[in-house]
Amino acid sequence: MPLLTLIVFTPLIGAILVALAPVREVRVLRGVSFGFTLLTALLGFLVWQDFDPNQAALQLTESRPWFELPGALAVNFTLGIDGISILLVSLTAFLMPLVLLSASKSITTRIREFLVWLLIMEAGMLGVFLATDIFLFYVFWEVSLVPLYFMLGIWGGERRLYATLKFFLFTLAGSLVMLVGVIALVYLSGTLDIAALTQWAGTQTLEVQGWLFAAFALAFAIKVPLLPFHTWLPDAHTEAPTAGSVILAGVLLKMGTYGLLRFGIAMFPLAALEASTLFMILGALGIVYGAFLAMAQTDVKRLIACSSVSHLGFVVLGMFALTGAGLRGSVLQMVNHGLSTGLLFLLIGMIYERRHSRELADYGGIAKVMPLFALFFVFSVLSSVGLPGLNGFVGEWLILLGAFEASPVLTAVSVTGVIFGAVYLLRATRLMLFGEISHTENKTLSDLTPRELGVLTPICLLCLVIGVMPGPFIQRTEASLAVIEQRLDAARDQQAARVELDLPDDQEAESAR
Amino acid sequence: MSFESLQDLYLGAGPALAPLLWLTGGLLAVLIAEITPGLTRLRAAVVPAALLGAAWSAGQLIAEPSGLVLGGTFMGDSQTGAFALIFLGAALLAWGQARHYYRQEEPFLGEHDALLITAPIGMILMAGAQDLIVFFIGLELLSIPLYCLAAFRRTRDDSVEAGLRYFILGAFGVTLFLMGAGLAYAATGTLNIEGLGEAHAALTTPLGGIGVALILASLLFKAGVAPFHLWVPDVYQGSPTPVTTLMATGTKAAAFAFLLRLAPILPNELGLPLGIIGVATLALGNLGALVQKDLKRLLAWSGIAHAGLLLLVISAAVSAAGTSQQAEILNAATSALLLYLLAYAFAAGGALGLIAWMEADGEDHTQLNRWQGLGSVRPGVAAGMTLFLLSLGGIPATGGFLGKWLAFSAAVRADMLPLAVLGALTSVIALGYSLRVIITMWMKPRPETWATPTMNRPLAAFLAGFCAAMVLALGLIPGFVLGPLF
Repeated sequence: MPLLTLIVFTPLIGAILVALAPVREVRVLRGVSFGFTLLTALLGFLVWQDFDPNQAALQLTESRPWFELPGALAVNFTLGIDGISILLVSLTAFLMPLVLLSASKSITTRIREFLVWLLIMEAGMLGVFLATDIFLFYVFWEVSLVPLYFMLGIWGGERRLYATLKFFLFTLAGSLVMLVGVIALVYLSGTLDIAALTQWAGTQTLEVQGWLFAAFALAFAIKVPLLPFHTWLPDAHTEAPTAGSVILAGVLLKMGTYGLLRFGIAMFPLAALEASTLFMILGALGIVYGAFLAMAQTDVKRLIACSSVSHLGFVVLGMFALTGAGLRGSVLQMVNHGLSTGLLFLLIGMIYERRHSRELADYGGIAKVMPLFALFFVFSVLSSVGLPGLNGFVGEWLILLGAFEASPVLTAVSVTGVIFGAVYLLRATRLMLFGEISHTENKTLSDLTPRELGVLTPICLLCLVIGVMPGPFIQRTEASLAVIEQRLDAARDQQAARVELDLPDDQEAESAR
Repeated sequence: MSFESLQDLYLGAGPALAPLLWLTGGLLAVLIAEITPGLTRLRAAVVPAALLGAAWSAGQLIAEPSGLVLGGTFMGDSQTGAFALIFLGAALLAWGQARHYYRQEEPFLGEHDALLITAPIGMILMAGAQDLIVFFIGLELLSIPLYCLAAFRRTRDDSVEAGLRYFILGAFGVTLFLMGAGLAYAATGTLNIEGLGEAHAALTTPLGGIGVALILASLLFKAGVAPFHLWVPDVYQGSPTPVTTLMATGTKAAAFAFLLRLAPILPNELGLPLGIIGVATLALGNLGALVQKDLKRLLAWSGIAHAGLLLLVISAAVSAAGTSQQAEILNAATSALLLYLLAYAFAAGGALGLIAWMEADGEDHTQLNRWQGLGSVRPGVAAGMTLFLLSLGGIPATGGFLGKWLAFSAAVRADMLPLAVLGALTSVIALGYSLRVIITMWMKPRPETWATPTMNRPLAAFLAGFCAAMVLALGLIPGFVLGPLF
């Protein structure tokens, strides 16, 4: 069974069906869309089951010729999955039905369009993680950009148009630089296959690797977003509808970190070694700066958005430590951030539906009227600050461990981020949930409904599972990350040899072969 | 000239000239039908029949190229055939849009169709020309009908102004060409392109150099490349929308078709300056489009930007001339140009078609703010416009992206990486104005007092749907669409 093709096309077929269905009944449309995301989630589970953790290379691969044009290389529709992508694919498939369910009350206008965009987005994101042809990757990369743009612009908050434009232009600027990088890479190497490109790129001189790395890294750094390209994120998050925020935090930002790992570090190890300090500094700065930003916010959604900048700083820090623990931690932390920040955005969305305010000052003491909400909120906050026993702890621990090997100073700086994280999140918790009820409107708030519980519970359970036994998750990434480590080690040797002999570039390329 | 030598001249030229013969036959039929009482209704069948017939024989030409004909002055190869298909598609689109466009004025529609069918004759001659005189005839056959067509809504000042402006500046452009051809002839003693290529040394003398520069200037003028682009916004805006379609998609393609023929014989030092002009035009066009309030004007500026990117492709071919990579890069540039123009024709033609369709509900529908909130009342039209704009912006899954991919590939192959990077960056601006239109249509509320556009034109709906399908097909299954073309 062509599992990967199915998982990419199922949401797409759903989108086409929903777009063209001659039904006006909203409940039917919602039901059909939900069914398709559920089917995708089921397929995602099958992929998770079929995945062989011991195999480092791509597996479940599929390849079909797509098209061939004179003067250009033949493009294949090839999909595959490995340890770098398995967690993200599963996360996407897992989150989407819940996101859809969560939006069933908050989105009340133009529902059909919303569902179509959501399904297209799911197909795009899965495609990004599964594509093993660089052309196909780029197509999915940009296709996944368009739906969020519409979701922001149509269903967003008051300043949505500004946020939309900013989001689109920021990410597109990066994408186009990457496009030139892709074309240069393809032209120099003569292949479109990502595995072959990785092989080829590893044999290139530092200069070639460096330029190509720069083109890719810029696009991914904007997407992550890394300081100083982060300014679009708080705006986009704040203005987006809940579903958009959850997808953005849960999956879309991970496309950036995923890209950094697959196209930055794995493909150009020499350049990654050179750039490692820079990226670690940017990561550490992001951690601290994002935390400071979050502390200053009065809008709780914006606060979570700024905390995203901080948390993703951790992912980048661990990744560019280029050590075994750092890489493992950052891959796991991508998922953790998606889960815990996704949870927080869902909860903010739920309270916003009731109260129509995101200002911390408008709340206070609502734990008394909404005990279940308070329970889940505290749980998500604890997961987000990295309480041992929950998912966030495992990732952050590995990241800091890995980063310490590479740079104790930057790690020390970053650790403060953990403390600041606790400060701003616990402060927000206190202001929202505890104390006296200072606003009379808050006295009549109703607690979570069964539907909302149904959205939150699976995610919380997964947080708990990862926290208690992260083994099965880390194990699946093990083999592929080991290959990246080997490549990095080889590059380190090469770097050392070059320093020793001070070879000019062309000879160095010879010796690399 | 004796009969025998005439016979020799036309020997074997049939297949190469068949598209032209179809069109000429159609032209005569339209004229006869127009003056014969009772036959005028046939016109509606004759024009598409002639265009489709020509397209069919252009297809034959692609399958079986017949090489140089007419004493070496016209090239009947698959490249000519492929470009002919673009021209004929553009003419068909324009004709379909014009069917219901002139409802109020009811001007001389017979003449309109006769002029419309003449323009592609000129375009095909330009695409296949191997001789500067043949090219010149093509240029005139294209330009003169368009001067008239631009001014076809005689009761409207802006249409008449567009015609006059186009005519005066066009005449200037033609003069430049004649001057250039004259000087090139003086320097080399030939007007044949192959001959000019052999006389390479003479082309780099001051005399030949000025000749080449003047020829290039006239071509860039027709293509609407900076600094010869100033006529484009006014003429595109003032002309009847179907004519704008023909100009935007057909004329531009014809100019670039001939530039592609010239590319291998141009001195390759010209590659870099041409590339710089191309990228500058790209930036200028996109910046100009950013501030437009009229959709036709916006598309005109975007057309300038696209011409700039196409010039970058040409410059790649020019800079590779005479090097070992020449054949390879010329091949890449050709397919980039063809695909780009094809995708552009469907996207820009489709967008202009939607504008023409909306204009049925009032002339002011060329204004962007009249499209406000259209997504809530006419989602199909708004979705179509969105798709066309995304394709013009080069977003993947549309034909525009594939065009951009091939265009930048050609530039990178010719070692023009910095220019490609600059081009890619300026493309971001293009998304800025596409997004403004999309925001207006989808994300702003429609004022409640506004009537819903009627939009009951099956032909216009069919054309828009066809363009949208082609834009998507070019992006998703290009092999299927283009397989027969290459």
